[in-house]
Amino acid sequence: MFYHNFKYSLKILLKNKMLIFWTFAFPIILGSLFKMAFSDIENNEKLDTIDIAIIQTEEFNNNQIYKKTYEELSNKNNKNKLFNIYYIKEKNNLESKKKANQLLEQDKIVGYLFLENKKEIIVKTSGINQTVFKYVTEEIIQTEKIITNLIKEGMSSNSTDQTINQLYEKIYDKVLSINENNTILKDTTNTNLSYTMIEFYTLIAMTCLYGGILAMTSINNNLANMSSKGKRIFISPTKKYKTIISSVLASYIVQLIGLFILFIYTVVVLKVDYGNNFPLIILLALIGSLAGLSLGVFTSCVFKNSENTKTGIIISLTMLGCFLSGMMGITMKYVIDKNVPIINKLNPANMITDGFYSLYYYDTLDRYYFNIISLIIFAMILIVISTFSLRRQKYDSI
Amino acid sequence: MKNVIEVKNLTKKYKELKAIDDLSFEVYEGEILGLLGPNGSGKSTTINCLLSLLNFNKGTIKIFGKTMKPSSYDIKEKIGVVFQDIAVFEELNVIDNINYFCGLYIKDKDTRKKYVLDAINLVGLENYKKFYPKQLSGGLLRRLNIACGIAHKPKLIFLDEPTVAVDPQSRNNILEGIKKLRDEGSTIVYTTHYMEEVEIICDRVIIIDKGSIIASGTTDEVKHLASIEEKVTVEVVDLENKYLEEIKNLKHVDEVKYDNNILFITYKKGKNNLIDLIDYLKINKINYTKIFSERPTLNDVFLELTGKELRD
Ligand SMILES: Nc1ncnc2c1ncn2[C@@H]1O[C@H](COP(=O)(O)OP(=O)(O)OP(=O)(O)O)[C@@H](O)[C@H]1O
Ligand SMILES: [Mg+2]
Repeated sequence: MFYHNFKYSLKILLKNKMLIFWTFAFPIILGSLFKMAFSDIENNEKLDTIDIAIIQTEEFNNNQIYKKTYEELSNKNNKNKLFNIYYIKEKNNLESKKKANQLLEQDKIVGYLFLENKKEIIVKTSGINQTVFKYVTEEIIQTEKIITNLIKEGMSSNSTDQTINQLYEKIYDKVLSINENNTILKDTTNTNLSYTMIEFYTLIAMTCLYGGILAMTSINNNLANMSSKGKRIFISPTKKYKTIISSVLASYIVQLIGLFILFIYTVVVLKVDYGNNFPLIILLALIGSLAGLSLGVFTSCVFKNSENTKTGIIISLTMLGCFLSGMMGITMKYVIDKNVPIINKLNPANMITDGFYSLYYYDTLDRYYFNIISLIIFAMILIVISTFSLRRQKYDSI
Repeated sequence: MKNVIEVKNLTKKYKELKAIDDLSFEVYEGEILGLLGPNGSGKSTTINCLLSLLNFNKGTIKIFGKTMKPSSYDIKEKIGVVFQDIAVFEELNVIDNINYFCGLYIKDKDTRKKYVLDAINLVGLENYKKFYPKQLSGGLLRRLNIACGIAHKPKLIFLDEPTVAVDPQSRNNILEGIKKLRDEGSTIVYTTHYMEEVEIICDRVIIIDKGSIIASGTTDEVKHLASIEEKVTVEVVDLENKYLEEIKNLKHVDEVKYDNNILFITYKKGKNNLIDLIDYLKINKINYTKIFSERPTLNDVFLELTGKELRD
């Protein structure tokens, strides 16, 4: 019975043209559009470096990590040169800031960095260049913190600031001299990645979540209050959980087929780079799809609306989630991550996007696993609620 | 006779509306029971309650001697239902649709294969096996809908208006098929608001209105509930009033109406009323173009019991 229902659910889903369009074709079309739009941006951006200013505060000058990093990022010989830097040093910090603000007003720079006790990244308007500046600088500040803390831990308590700074320098030289791909900091210089790859990662997130439409349709076919076919299945001697679980399993398989095709397409045709850790990439895709599936299960079991409304709910939730996690530009993700991080912590689209992002950018896997676990919790909560709500509908189903 | 279904004091309310009001009836093994009633009289609601698809407020339902519950899988195994709405998968062709639903009951593949073909033959879809639902006409789709409900050879079959919007030929086909199922040993509950169908195929009929039974019995028994026995219609031009009065006083005549050159006469009782009438017309040299006699229909019974027509 289980296999019988599974086999037919698979057949029914694969033959539904609307479903296949949304879950198979639409992401591929959208991905191709992204590629066309970004190839222009990428080409333009490669020629243009971004004009910024750095105020040479004492803290900046004394910190070898900052100094060297920005030197490297504005180095003529670096093929990934990112910034044109105006170094500003007036009588005092206040004057320097004034000067920087002037440059900003005149649109000579997109923003400036003011490093003192408090770290300030100042930009006038928002835009891709501004975001890249902010993002890269945030990354540098973060990395500096990590390295500093690491070293502090590793040093004996009687070492002086002087010796610490010397050590920083040594470590940093070492870091820079390692093969490009293996360094944390070098990666951030790869601007190409920092703001176009993420849109493809959101595309994968979108596809994972759209998969929910498959699960939703599949369950609707089994529910007596949602479809006349569901009435037929209800009056049969097959147990409800058996038909529902086999249908959901079928929808998961279809979802994964769609995702697999999209992966192949983005890698082969669109040249998207997911990094090299295949088992973890696949794990994230599986768990991401599970989150999408749970969204579909939840929508079908908890809402009482028509199938079209339910599809609408899934599509709009997915689109909103993807928008907030950077589908229409990384600026959005940046703004949300900085100002209302809770939103993206609860946003499954962001969990998936951020998972791919962290897999690509970071050598450590903490952030990746944080996202994986968030996704699992998200999925479990929705499935548990759905199960309870389904149990209650035992009688009086129509 | 064995009872397959026993319903006692069934009452079902949708919020304020009493859709079924204290309904009690039995269905006997091997019969076709007609549930006849106008739109909204509670036929589908009754079936849904019987199947545990709907909760109800009062009453008991026993099928095959056991109380029916949503988890009565042993009872469900023996039931087949053809719902009023078409319930088939657009994505599956005729044979797959039947096979899918049949597979929810019959595990064995070979048996199932045979059952599916039997069902296709029964409803006459042999030439449409690979057709998808949207390629079928309305009548053919109805036939598929029936095949999906009965392919597993159930002992008890519910058919909820299976012939709505079906052409006369398809309808005859379907009715023949249903009789065949009965002859093969199934018990059938058949709802409709076409009284002709009930007269053709039902062994017994229950007439319901506003959720209550207003008459039940064999079709002949029910027809006796009507106080009239015969209806005669005559087409006659410009009949004089004095004749009308005279006809009213003929033997057994209950009522006489003359409208648009058509004369309606209803008789309370008796045979040979038509011959008497023809004699009378001959003697009085009244020329008529057409004359025919009818037995009362279930509609007349309904009209008499409720004061309204069965069909809107
Ligand atoms: N889900 C519902 N909620 C509220 N009222 C309902 C619901 N379903 C049916 N009714 C009402 O219950 C009454 C009986 O409806 P039911 O569908 O059983 O009639 P029926 O005899 O099958 O009619 P038809 O010949 O049109 O199929 C009607 O008045 C109808 O409006
Ligand atoms: Mg009905």
